[in-house]
Amino acid sequence: MKTLRSQKRSILNRSVSGKRLPVILLSATLLTACAMAPVSPPGSIDVRSKLTALQSDPKMADHARVELREAEQAVQLAERPLGESEAALAEHRVYMADRMVEIARAKAETRLAESDRERLSEERDAARLAARTREAEQARDEERSAASRAEMSASEARELQRQIDELEAEATDRGLVLTLGDVLFATGSASIQGGSNQNLEKLVNFLNQYPERQVLIEGHTDNVGSAELNRNLSRQRAESVRRYLESRGVDGRRLSVTGYGFERPVASNDSATGRQQNRRVEVIIQNGQ
Amino acid sequence: MSSPEKRAFLPRLGLVTGGFAALLFLVACASDPVPPTSSLNLASEAIATAEQADARQHAGAELEEAKQKLAEAEKAVAQRKMTEAERLADQARVAAELAVARTEAAKAAEINRELGRGAEALDEELRRQGDRQ
Repeated sequence: MKTLRSQKRSILNRSVSGKRLPVILLSATLLTACAMAPVSPPGSIDVRSKLTALQSDPKMADHARVELREAEQAVQLAERPLGESEAALAEHRVYMADRMVEIARAKAETRLAESDRERLSEERDAARLAARTREAEQARDEERSAASRAEMSASEARELQRQIDELEAEATDRGLVLTLGDVLFATGSASIQGGSNQNLEKLVNFLNQYPERQVLIEGHTDNVGSAELNRNLSRQRAESVRRYLESRGVDGRRLSVTGYGFERPVASNDSATGRQQNRRVEVIIQNGQ
Repeated sequence: MSSPEKRAFLPRLGLVTGGFAALLFLVACASDPVPPTSSLNLASEAIATAEQADARQHAGAELEEAKQKLAEAEKAVAQRKMTEAERLADQARVAAELAVARTEAAKAAEINRELGRGAEALDEELRRQGDRQ
């Protein structure tokens, strides 16, 4: 008996709970529906999108953190759903949020401009400094290169002088004059004796060292014999020197040859010593420009 | 002795209670139509600040809006619509604050333009100097 009653009760209970379940479900649905029913005021959507645009611009957002936080709070308030009777309040909140977003934007713009300004004036200072540095460097470089040019030309001059000394040439207005004596040639012959000559070798070295210098080769003789013969002989001897120089690698275009015969004596033809001095080939190395 | 006293006290208690209730009612009623002084003052101050910042020149529309809102707020006070008055006063304040913010932004941009022109002139000068050398 006892068990039967308890069974009945449990069946009853079950049937009750079976009926309750849909009711609970329905009320839950209704509750959810009710909670969803009031949506955010329409204007708040625009304000939210303006704020989002501002927040997602890192340059702007960095310059108005506080203002953006305040605007965020205002927008959140504006988004809060309100009943239809509260339309005026909704509108008010949207207005406030909108202006606060705009304030944040304007402040960000101001500060961005200010930091740009710092950058601008820093750039300007840098440009000025660079210009001054450049000027100073240029002046220093010029000084330095002038000094080194001076040094260079001094050392070049010393070297040239050393070589001229070695060449035993004489510096004249026409250039360096090197006199090759008649020992170079056999009497009556235009051929250079002995194949090579120390003076000529020095000349070759010198000419190769200063390749821009033009060279005049002038033959001279004493007054023994006819003028024509002497002119020819002097010319042939000068030619011999030219050929020798060419064979030693001196560019023939630098060399010009003249035979003066006995027109330009350097000593009296009355003595043997004088005549010997007059028999010569002069190599004139013109001064470099 | 005690019972007549009690009887006399009871109506008095009712009177006192009634008085309290009336007082409460009055206070409640009076508390609503109090003008939003603080909001109105803040709005006035913000507008004054904007005018001093020369907002008329750089953010005239915003300044005008702020002044209009303040005027509306004062009208609402006169009509004893204090809730509306407070909202309008708050709106006037943010409008004036926006006027200030936009004025400052405009001034900053103007300074940068000047600086930019100066920098361009300098660059040009430096460039010419560079060409000469």
